[in-house]
Amino acid sequence: MSEDPENVEKMEGDSAKPDRMFTLKKWNAVAMWSWDVECDTCAICRVQVMDACLRCQAESKRDFYGKQDCVVVWGECNHSFHYCCMSLWVKQNNRCPLCQQEWSIQRMGK
Amino acid sequence: MSTPARRRLMRDFKRLQEDPPTGVSGAPTDNNIMIWNAVIFGPHDTPFEDGTFKLTIEFTEEYPNKPPTVRFVSHMFHPNVYADGGICLDILQNRWSPTYDVSAILTSIQSLLSDPNPNSPANSMAAQLYKENRREYEKRVKACVEQSFID
Ligand SMILES: [Zn+2]
Ligand SMILES: [Zn+2]
Ligand SMILES: [Zn+2]
Repeated sequence: MSEDPENVEKMEGDSAKPDRMFTLKKWNAVAMWSWDVECDTCAICRVQVMDACLRCQAESKRDFYGKQDCVVVWGECNHSFHYCCMSLWVKQNNRCPLCQQEWSIQRMGK
Repeated sequence: MSTPARRRLMRDFKRLQEDPPTGVSGAPTDNNIMIWNAVIFGPHDTPFEDGTFKLTIEFTEEYPNKPPTVRFVSHMFHPNVYADGGICLDILQNRWSPTYDVSAILTSIQSLLSDPNPNSPANSMAAQLYKENRREYEKRVKACVEQSFID
């Protein structure tokens, strides 16, 4: 299965937000998220989950949508990865690569 | 061409240089980042002590979703190393996780030298000696250590 284009669409609604990323308020929010998930680096590609994954960087999808289409996915176990990275991995093994629990998506977003 | 696998390997290499694990080293070959040469130093207090064992690691474009092929170039006498240098280690086969990197692979192989698993033998002679005749096992391993200075 390839990436679900519907999920990509949903994210575009957020496209006005990045401007505000630079305010102090927004930084607080980012810090709290990383507590939530223990680690804010995608353990698969080793890039921060808030940045585009290595695959998207390699394909340089910066053209129109910037990094908007490379979203973060959280599992029930609270581990987070890029959706791109995780969707490739679950095709061969539907377990969280960090804790080996059965992988099920808790939420997706940025 | 910079593919995701190649970019990931550049990160692996950077991490290996910035935060080198003790007793292992590795680097991509000059003209191909998909093929690495590595060295594992025999762990202290094991019969492998003082040995410098060379390996090659071959990655595919599916890395890190698929594990690389790791092979000892140096001659080994170990319950979990095949005659051709191939390694029988769960994390390089069915227990692979895409969160592993070159550092993790090399340190796992290093700990396999200290703690062989004689129940899934790749070299049945080595496994048998390890279980039943530790003195002879150590003698055969020491011969590999000596050999590793020459290769
Ligand atoms: Zn990632
Ligand atoms: Zn991506
Ligand atoms: Zn997990």
